This record gives sequence, structure tokens and C-alpha cells, in this order.
Amino acid sequence: MSNLRDIKRRIKSVRNTSQITKAMQMVASAKMRRAQELALRGRTYMSALANVLHHLGESLIMRGGTALMEEREAGRDLIIVVNTDKGLCGALNANLLREVVANAPADAYYLCIGNKLAGSLQRLGREVEGSFSLSDSPTEAELKPIFDIIRKGFDERRYARVRVAYQKFVNVMVQRPQIVKLVPVEPQELLSVAEQGGMPDADDDADFLLEPSPEALLESVQRLYVSSMLVQLVLEGKASEQSARMVAMKSATENAKTLIDSLTLDYNKARQSQITNELLEITTAMKAME
Amino acid sequence: MPLHLKIITPLRTAVEADALSIRLPATAEQLEILPGHTALITAVEPGELSYTTTEHSSQSIFVGGGFLQVEDDNALLVTDTALDADEVDPSSVNAAIEQARNRLRNEQSVLSREEQTRLEAIIAKQLAMLEYKNKRARVPH
Repeated sequence: MSNLRDIKRRIKSVRNTSQITKAMQMVASAKMRRAQELALRGRTYMSALANVLHHLGESLIMRGGTALMEEREAGRDLIIVVNTDKGLCGALNANLLREVVANAPADAYYLCIGNKLAGSLQRLGREVEGSFSLSDSPTEAELKPIFDIIRKGFDERRYARVRVAYQKFVNVMVQRPQIVKLVPVEPQELLSVAEQGGMPDADDDADFLLEPSPEALLESVQRLYVSSMLVQLVLEGKASEQSARMVAMKSATENAKTLIDSLTLDYNKARQSQITNELLEITTAMKAME
Repeated sequence: MPLHLKIITPLRTAVEADALSIRLPATAEQLEILPGHTALITAVEPGELSYTTTEHSSQSIFVGGGFLQVEDDNALLVTDTALDADEVDPSSVNAAIEQARNRLRNEQSVLSREEQTRLEAIIAKQLAMLEYKNKRARVPH
């Protein structure tokens, strides 16, 4: 008797859980569509900006570029880790952490966007400078404090390089952990960003007329590039997060369904055997009375 | 051969068209680009960009600040905003101006120079947007 009730209770609790995961799946898939759209559209913008900056950089190579392009050997890096604020998104953060541990220097400073990995990094003995949490579709204004930290640290030579570890959004099923260079801006990097977005690489030797002044122009394009790039990488991270969450919740809902099925089977079996037992008892009793 | 004009914002590719000429507000003055223009990269101020299509009709769009690159008759404008006149909402524009002005007025002592410049840029941009909207309202196209 008690066994039957136990199974019934379990079925009920699994069903409740599956309703929750189902709802979370719906929410994630709605958010995912928006995040995906923002991330994909942003790629074209970044590629156009990279194209302009690349041409600008080439025209200015004689002048030695600006501070944001300066290569430095000595000093510690800053690694910005774009993870998530909430869990329940499969192995997304774990994979990112593995990538960071494998490919980022242990003596670097770390800055987290999203709260999930700050603790893990600290436990691994990495120096975490802070962690930020942002809205679902972050704007440049929201990222400004982070951008200020980067610029201040780089200007004061506290950081030699700034890199960003994030989950690149490939498609709904696939997100790839990556570490990309943010500062200093490298010509090679620009070229690859420009090509990824399908910007044609026209005549390299074109001699551009630059207005207002070349230095002012380079400075402002570069600043815009670095901050937009940061926004773009965070958007990619958000798109990956929502996709991963949707997939995780979907499989959780499906698992719950299989579990309910097998529990229902158990329940029916238990019920049947109970009935059989009762019948057996009745017939035995009748036989005994004859 | 006409110019190929492309306006790209973070949210969309706002315009992709062939044009016979393009007029836009550059840093110093109004700039007119014709086919065969020399290679150029320039900063662009918020304001109205208009261009003549290959069918000789005139089109216009509001663009926020950004950068224009002209190379081999390809004009590429990278900007933060690109809006048609009917996409400009005067009430939200006014609200943004008001908010920026209030901050400038009330927090003047605590704002960094950089922040002040940023707020002033926001006001200038919103005012340009409003001016564009009013101008379009007077001249039906």
C-alpha cells in the first residue's frame, strides 16, 4: 500500500519539476531569439568597424599608432571572463572555466561579467578583481565602468594585455569557448574580424584622406572599436547562455517525461500485483471455508 | 558607375543602395561625395544624410555620429543610429534631452569632464534628430 502511494507521490513531484523546466525552456527560447538576433547583427557592425580601423591603421602605421595599439612584453594580463549570472545552462560555464584554466596565464588579473565563475576562479587561486552582472541586452552605457577599468589599467601599465574569454555563439546546439585579444588592437585581428563579417578586403595600398586629423580619428575609432567589441562579445555570451539554457531545459523536460513513463509503469505493475494479492487472499479464504 | 552606399548600425544594415551622390554632415562642414571620390575616412556628426538614387529620386535618413569610409566608389558609414523621420519619436527625444540637461545642471560638481562631454554629445545628437524630424515634416517627400 505504502509503495503505491510513494510512487504516486514521486510521479507528482517529477511532473511538477517538468512543468517548471518546460516554463524555463519557453522563457529561454524567447530570450534566445532576441539575444541571437542582437549578436548576429552586431557581427556585421563589428566587421565594418574593423574594416575602417584596419585601413586607418595601415595609413598610420608610419606614425606608430596610438597607445591602444602598443605591444607590450612585460606585465600581467587582464582576462575578462564572460560567464552567466544564473545556472541551469548545461556545461556552459564549466567548459568556459576549463578553457580559461588551460589557456589563460595563472598570474593574470581576472574580471568576471556574470557571477557564476568568480568563486571557482578564486578557489583555483586566480586573482579576481571584481565581478559585474548585466541585463539581458546590455548597452554600451552599462559596460562603461568595465571599459573604464580596462582603459585606466592599460594606461597605467597595470595590464600588459587585455583578453576576453567568452562562449562564441555558433548555433543553438553549439557554443565554443574562446579567448580573444581585446587590447592592444592587432592588425591581424582586425583583418580576421573584418573578413568574418564578409567585408571585402579592397585595395590595401589605398592612400586615405583623413579628416579631421589622423590622430584624433584613430583615437576615436579605436575607442569605439574596443568598447563595441566588448559589447559584442558580451552579446555573444548572452546568446550562448540562452541557447544553452533552452537546450538544457528541453532535455530536462524530456528526461522528466521518460521518468514519468517508467514510474507510471511501475505504479501500474504495483497496483496489479496488489489486486492479484487481494484476489489471492479472498480465494484462499474461500477455499479454507469450504 | 554609381557609388555603393552602405550604412551599418549595431542593430541593422539600415541602407544598402546605389547612389549618384551623397551629402552628409562631416566634422567640419557638409560633405558631398560623388562617384570617383578619392579614398577618405572621416568622422561624421549627427544629422541628416541624403543621397540621390540611380533613379534620380532623393532619399534621406538621420544618422548618429560615426565614421565614413570611401574607397573605390564604396561608401561605408558605420554609425550608432540610423533612423527614418517617422521612426523619430519627439516625446522620447525630449525626455532624453531633459534627462541629460538635468544631470548636467544638478550634478555638475561630481561629473567628470569626460561624462560632461558625453552628456553634451547626447544633447547635440537628440537636438539634431528633432531638427531632422521637423524639417521632414515641413517638406513632404
